[in-house]
Amino acid sequence: MGAIFRREIKSYFSSPVGYVCVAAIAAIYGFFYYQVMLAGSSAYVSSVYSSVYLFSMMIIPVITMKSMAEDMKNKTDQALLTAPVGVTSIVMGKFLAAFCVFIIASTVGLIPAAVLEFFANPPWGIIFGNYIATLLYGGAMISIGVFISSLTVSQVIAAVATFLVSIGLMYLDSFAANVQNSVISSVIGFISFTSKYDVFTSGIFSVSSCVFFVSVMAAFVFLTARRLESRRWN
Amino acid sequence: MIKVSNLTKRYGSFTALDNVSFTVDEGTVTGFLGPNGAGKSTTMNIITGYLSATEGTVEISGKDILEDANEAKKLIGYLPEIPPLYTDMTVKEYLSFMYDLKKVKLNKKEHIKEICEITKIDGVYGRLIGNLSKGYRQRVGIAQALLGNPPVLILDEPTVGLDPTQIIEIRNLIAKLGKNHTVILSSHILSEIQAVCDRILVINQGKLVADGTADSLAHDLSDEHTINVRIMGPEVDVVTEIRKIKGVVRADRMGTKEAGTSDYRIETEENADIRVDLFNMASRMNWPILSLGTSELTLEQVFLKLTSTDTVHISSEEGGEE
Repeated sequence: MGAIFRREIKSYFSSPVGYVCVAAIAAIYGFFYYQVMLAGSSAYVSSVYSSVYLFSMMIIPVITMKSMAEDMKNKTDQALLTAPVGVTSIVMGKFLAAFCVFIIASTVGLIPAAVLEFFANPPWGIIFGNYIATLLYGGAMISIGVFISSLTVSQVIAAVATFLVSIGLMYLDSFAANVQNSVISSVIGFISFTSKYDVFTSGIFSVSSCVFFVSVMAAFVFLTARRLESRRWN
Repeated sequence: MIKVSNLTKRYGSFTALDNVSFTVDEGTVTGFLGPNGAGKSTTMNIITGYLSATEGTVEISGKDILEDANEAKKLIGYLPEIPPLYTDMTVKEYLSFMYDLKKVKLNKKEHIKEICEITKIDGVYGRLIGNLSKGYRQRVGIAQALLGNPPVLILDEPTVGLDPTQIIEIRNLIAKLGKNHTVILSSHILSEIQAVCDRILVINQGKLVADGTADSLAHDLSDEHTINVRIMGPEVDVVTEIRKIKGVVRADRMGTKEAGTSDYRIETEENADIRVDLFNMASRMNWPILSLGTSELTLEQVFLKLTSTDTVHISSEEGGEE
């Protein structure tokens, strides 16, 4: 797992992909901090994060699209699958590397808040709540992205499909509100990412939401591993 | 060392491998021969654990490739048909990555250096794999397979894309490795298989159609015993005289390739050696023999013969056709 993780991280940052993703997210944070704090004269940090949330959805597919698809296309998966490592370690290495890029990007996004510290008293509780929510949401979306990437050899299809899934998840709540059947709407409400995300934005650390997102990551890492395993049989 | 039992691989209704069984002994070089799409790569992919068989098992030193996957995979160095190279890495980074991935427990720096020397890639050690030529990529692929000194090496067309000098180098390398490794290699180049392999397995349409050394295959398959001879003499008389020799089944004039001479093709009974009688006859008649040769099948002919008809099934152990 360690070897694959290191290789993936190196590969993100030996190509422009890693830098572009980190720079894009950092720039978006900077822009919205400026918009909300300076131009809008508001201290409502959560609106910064809810705006960035949208853009994270566009950048995550770019990070995850190559993780499995590229290996399958270049046949380098032959080296991984014939090495004495389990499929779960392979997927974990890939997932953690992609997640790491996102963590770096999100952490760089804290710089405007740190700068704010010199001039005012930023609400650190809410900022960290949002930060953790972003990481958890990002981790869950990345695990889904890695899974989708394992379904196709085309990186473009992987990226578009992951983007569509994240849009679908975002509108799940409003969809649930329109469903008459109470069972279906409560099931949809349970899957909803946004409702679990929103809890953090008021600075509350919600263990149940945390468990939810970590479970999603675990589930999709598991599914991706099963997917790699099943490819052997086809 | 390698035990393959009743391997069958189906892709939907297409049967890529059909009940293939063989064992490979320690310290031998075994060659896989077969036309495109015969199932060579599929077999190798199953042996290395990249694919799973629909039926059948593979054991490496008694370790099942599915049940005891990690232990079995540690024993194998594999060069697939397309070398699994990351083009965004340098040779150094790549070999170091593969070293870690394979969990090799040797002195990293020395071991990698040694392998680079063996495969002669020290000159491109710091270069990006994406910028290397096909031949060098192939060598990096071989280097990767050698990492950790695995006792079993599985090489799928190791000399593809190499120039003639490199082919000879790699061939010598394989022969050298064959002394203390168990090697399975596949190739289209028959002379290569003949040069380095102790044993040849011929696969056609997913079935194992022959198993033996190059000589035994040639011997078993030559069902006709023919002699080609060039004699200077009157054509009609020569044929009549040849037919009189004991053991001759038929004799035909094959035409003239050299002025004043004719070529003849003589079929003999099995185990009959008529060469001495032929010489005596010619000397008695004062017809000089200019050339005389038996026509043993070359590996090329064996290959064509085995792969053109799917009814032939021979094995040197059984010593004949079935």
